[in-house]
Amino acid sequence: MNYFPDEVVEHVFDFVTSHKDRNSISLVCKSWFKIERYSRQNVFIGNCYSINPERLLRRFPCFKSLTLKGKPHFADFNLVPHGWGGFVQPWIEALARSRVGLEELRLKRMVVTDESLELLSRSFVNFKSLVLVSCEGFSTDGLASIASNCRHLRDLDLQENEIDDHRGQWLSCFPEAYTSLVTLNFACLEGETNLVALERLVARSPNLRSLKLNRAVPLDALARLMACAPQIVDLGVGSYEDEQDSESCLKLQAAIRKCTSLRSLSGFLEAAPHCLSAFHPVCHNLTYLNLSYAAEINGSHLIRLIEHCKKLQRLWILDSIGDKGLEVVASTCKELQELRVFPTDLQGGGNTAVTEDGLVAISAGCPKLHSILYFCQQMTNAALITVAKNCPNFIRFRLCILEPHKPDHVTSQPLDEGFGAIVQACKNLKRLSVSGLLTDQVFLYIGMFATQLEMLSIAFAGDTDKGMLYVLNGCKKMRKLEIRDSPFGDTALLADVNKYVTMRSLWMSSCEVTLGGCKRLAQKAPWLNVEIINENDNNRMEENGYEGRQKVDKMYLYRTVVGTRVDAPPFVWIL
Amino acid sequence: MEICNSYSSSSVDSTNPSPSESSVNLSLSLTFPSTSPQRARKQDWPPIKPRLRDTLKGRRRLLQRDYDTCLFVKVYMEGVPIGRKLDLSTFSGYESLLENLSHMFNTSIICGNHRDRKHHVLTYQDTDGDWMMVGDIPWEMFLETVRRLKITKPERC
Repeated sequence: MNYFPDEVVEHVFDFVTSHKDRNSISLVCKSWFKIERYSRQNVFIGNCYSINPERLLRRFPCFKSLTLKGKPHFADFNLVPHGWGGFVQPWIEALARSRVGLEELRLKRMVVTDESLELLSRSFVNFKSLVLVSCEGFSTDGLASIASNCRHLRDLDLQENEIDDHRGQWLSCFPEAYTSLVTLNFACLEGETNLVALERLVARSPNLRSLKLNRAVPLDALARLMACAPQIVDLGVGSYEDEQDSESCLKLQAAIRKCTSLRSLSGFLEAAPHCLSAFHPVCHNLTYLNLSYAAEINGSHLIRLIEHCKKLQRLWILDSIGDKGLEVVASTCKELQELRVFPTDLQGGGNTAVTEDGLVAISAGCPKLHSILYFCQQMTNAALITVAKNCPNFIRFRLCILEPHKPDHVTSQPLDEGFGAIVQACKNLKRLSVSGLLTDQVFLYIGMFATQLEMLSIAFAGDTDKGMLYVLNGCKKMRKLEIRDSPFGDTALLADVNKYVTMRSLWMSSCEVTLGGCKRLAQKAPWLNVEIINENDNNRMEENGYEGRQKVDKMYLYRTVVGTRVDAPPFVWIL
Repeated sequence: MEICNSYSSSSVDSTNPSPSESSVNLSLSLTFPSTSPQRARKQDWPPIKPRLRDTLKGRRRLLQRDYDTCLFVKVYMEGVPIGRKLDLSTFSGYESLLENLSHMFNTSIICGNHRDRKHHVLTYQDTDGDWMMVGDIPWEMFLETVRRLKITKPERC
C-alpha cells in the first residue's frame, strides 16, 4: 500500500544506497519494484556472465554508475588461462546504443581494449569516472582517447592493470585549459612518462586529490609535482633511483611539509631507504600506508617510518618488517583496522621473517583490527587461539602459510583447532582463507560456526568429500567458494544442487571432480553455467575414452539468467 | 626464479596415497622448486598478484650455495646515462670483476686502495643504501650486500 506519491517514495529511496538494501526494497511490492527500477543510480554486477547488457537496460534504464567483474578471483594467481573471457566491449556497445547517461564505470578482472575505451569516451557526454582494477588488453592509446574525449573526467584510476605502454603522449591529451581531475593513478604503467606533460597536467588540475605515479617519475620531478599540488590527499610515489643529490632531497622535504592534507601514501617501487625519512613529517596524519612494493627497503627503515604513524588505519607491508616490526606496529598503530603482510621470500627456504608471534602481537595491540591478510612460513594452533581471543571482531581473516600442508610447527598437529577458534570467536566473519595442514575437522568447524561467511578460499586442505559438504551445508550465506588442490569430488559437488542458487560461483581446480560429475550437475542445475577449463585444447575430453571418470583440472560454475555465453574460447567447455 | 610446489595435484596423479599418508610424506619433502614442470611454468603459488611477484623477482636475492641463482646488478659509469647489467655470480673475485668491467666500459678501473688521478674507481651501493669503495670486504660478503655498481671519476673519492 502506498500512502505517498511516487516522487516521495523515490526521494526516500535516494537515501538507500547499498545494493543489498535496494535489492530488498525492490521485492516489497510491484509499485516499489517499479519506482526502485527507475531510480537506481548504481548498478553492481558481480559476475558479468550472470546477466547481459540488454536485460540490464530493461531492468534499470536510468543508471549512472556500473560496476562489472569478470574473471574469477583465482585469475589473479595465473590459474585462469589467457583468453578465458570477461570482455567489456559488448557492454559498452550496448550502453552506447541505449540512452543511458553513463558517468562511472568500474571494472575488475575484465578484458578492455583500446576500441572499448575509444567507444566509451565518445558515447557518454557526462562520463566522469573510470576505475580499472586488474584488467588487461589495452594500451596507452586507449588512455589517450579517454583523456581527449571525456571533458568532465574526474577519476582515472588504474590499479594493477596490464597495460601496453606505447610511450605515447596520453598525458598531453587532457583538456588544455584546466581539468576536473580529482584522481589520477597510473602507477601500473611500465614505460617512460613525459614529465613535462605530467607537471603541466598537475598544475592545471586544481581539484586533484589523489595522484599515483609510476616507476618513471624521479625524485626531483616528484618534488616539483608535490609543490604544484600541496592539496594532495593520496600520493603514490613512483620509484627513484638513488639520488645523491641532496638539493633534490631538500626540495622534496620542503614540498612534503606543505602537503598538510596528505593521508595516504603508497608506491616506493625501487626506492632507496633514505628517501623514506623525507616523509616522516607527514606520517602522523597518515591513515593508509602501502609499502607492499618497497622490496628494496629493509625492516629497520620501515620501522623508523611506522613509528611516526600513530593514526594509521590500513597498513600493507612486506614481511621484511619482521616480528619486531610488527610489535612496533602493535604498539604504535592503535587505530589499525586492516593489515596485509606480503611475502618477500617466495622460495620458502629458511627466512622466517614473520611468524605467529607477529600475528599475536598485532592482535593484542590493535583493538580495532577487523581485516587481515598474512603470509608466513609457520603457524601454531596456540597462536591462532590467542588471536581469536584477542580479536573477535574479524570480518576478513586470510592466512597463507607458504608451504602447503604445513602443520603446527610446535606440535606437528593440523591447524584445525586454530582456525576453529577463529570462526567460533569471530561471529561477523565474512571472508576466510585457510592454509597449512588441515583435515575435514576444520570444515566441520567452519560449517558450524561461520554463519556469516560469504567467501571462502581453500588450498591444499581437507581429507574427504565430507569437508566440502560441511561447508556447503553449514554456511548459509556463502557466495563465493574457491578451492584448489584439495581432495573434494563429485559426491560433495552434487549433494545439494540448490545450494548453487544462493551462491554466485564455485571454483574447483586440481580436485577430485570428474567430467561425469560435472555433466550430471549441469543437467540437474540448468540455471548454472558449468565451465570446464582445459588449457590443453588438443586433448578435448569428449574425444578421450575415459569420458565420465576423467578428472577435471579446472571447473568454474556460476549462476546465470542468460544461459551459455557465446564468447568462450576453444579451451572452455560449457556443459 | 620459478615459484612452485612439489605437491602434485590429484588430477596429475591418479593413484593417490591416502590423505594422511600424503600429508606426512609431503611435509617431509620441503623443497619448493617443483619436480613438476607444469607447476614450474604456472607460478600459481603462493597466491600473490603478478605485479608483486615481478617486483620480488627483480629484487636482489641472498646468494645461496645454489646452482641456479644469479646476481644481476646495474652498473653505471659516471657521466653515462645508460647503464649495463652484470651477473656478479659469474665472477670468482674482485680481479675478474674489474677486468671484465674495464673491458665492458673500455677504460681502466681499479679498486679503492691504489687511487690515482688516472684510473676510474669502482664503488658499490650496499643494502643500507650507502655508497662504498669496492674491495674492502671479502668477496662472498660483498656479493651478499652489493645492490648496484658505479664507476666513478677518480677525483670524487
